[in-house]
Amino acid sequence: MSMNAEGASLSLAEHLIRQSEQEAALTAMDAVLEAALAGRFTEDQCFRLFARLWTLKRIMYYVYGGWAQGINLNEYPPAVAYLFGKQIYDESTQEMQLCDEMLRRRWARTQKQLFAHPYAQFGTATRAGAYIFCLRALANYPQNVRIAALNLGPKVIELAWTEKFAKFFPDEALHAIFQSQLAETRSHVLMGKFHVEKFIQKHIDAELAKRLCAETRRDYLFFIEETARFALGLEQERAGTVAVSGDID
Amino acid sequence: MPGLKIAHDKCTECRMCYVVCREININAVVVSATSQHLLEIDDRCTYPKCTVCLMYCPAEGSIVETDTGRSLVPPPPEVWTEAQRWPR
Repeated sequence: MSMNAEGASLSLAEHLIRQSEQEAALTAMDAVLEAALAGRFTEDQCFRLFARLWTLKRIMYYVYGGWAQGINLNEYPPAVAYLFGKQIYDESTQEMQLCDEMLRRRWARTQKQLFAHPYAQFGTATRAGAYIFCLRALANYPQNVRIAALNLGPKVIELAWTEKFAKFFPDEALHAIFQSQLAETRSHVLMGKFHVEKFIQKHIDAELAKRLCAETRRDYLFFIEETARFALGLEQERAGTVAVSGDID
Repeated sequence: MPGLKIAHDKCTECRMCYVVCREININAVVVSATSQHLLEIDDRCTYPKCTVCLMYCPAEGSIVETDTGRSLVPPPPEVWTEAQRWPR
């Protein structure tokens, strides 16, 4: 990669991270943390929060499965496949941690019951669904672009609110879980930076990365708003009716 | 009552113990809340009534008896009996 191209990619990575950090400065998760700090966060609300976060983490298998099918390993050096594998493993670890804690606290007695619990259901006509399907659709794009979209978008926002939870969440066990996830989530952001700096060289890839990053960021922010509303027991958005006016035949 | 613990210098973190323990709803194998996220066995473990993790662990010496430090992978014959393989 020439110096010019490298310079351009570097600024793209920084640009995407900066945009995501701005969005991450204040999110709906701050309201959750505020409630917890004020002692207004009940055990049931905690369960709601963990169940929603767990649902997202476990549905990421669906996203990564689609991406892995579309990855052309010969196009990239082994570092790309390694880092991608590591990211899948980390997400899996975090999913396990959330599930462990819910079982340990007896919010559900078995994993099977947890899967069936209304708090942990994955709904397609939800913000979580919109976010997941948005990510899954990135399977059609090259690995460098989709990693830029995820790791320099939602991952930056996730890192920001996880850092706050890791510092201030009053429940010691939960605080320790968030704290333990920080290094992994931070490594995903750095991996995204590495991908963009090294493998986004064409103008079209850079433009795609910007557009897709903005979309994933928006959808993730909607997801965390939905999660915070659910956890705090605020009124949920209602799914709209989809009217199909065209003749499908 | 004797328990089990994971010898991290031998464990490959393949997570088979986690999977089988979760499968039978004992849930004693957990991910530790440290940045290394090593697997640990907590006090929900019912060993010696259940030895299912020992059956599936592929890494010799990676699960040991807490009291004695004795390696249980592969499971010694007196541990791996018909009655103990799966919890009854």
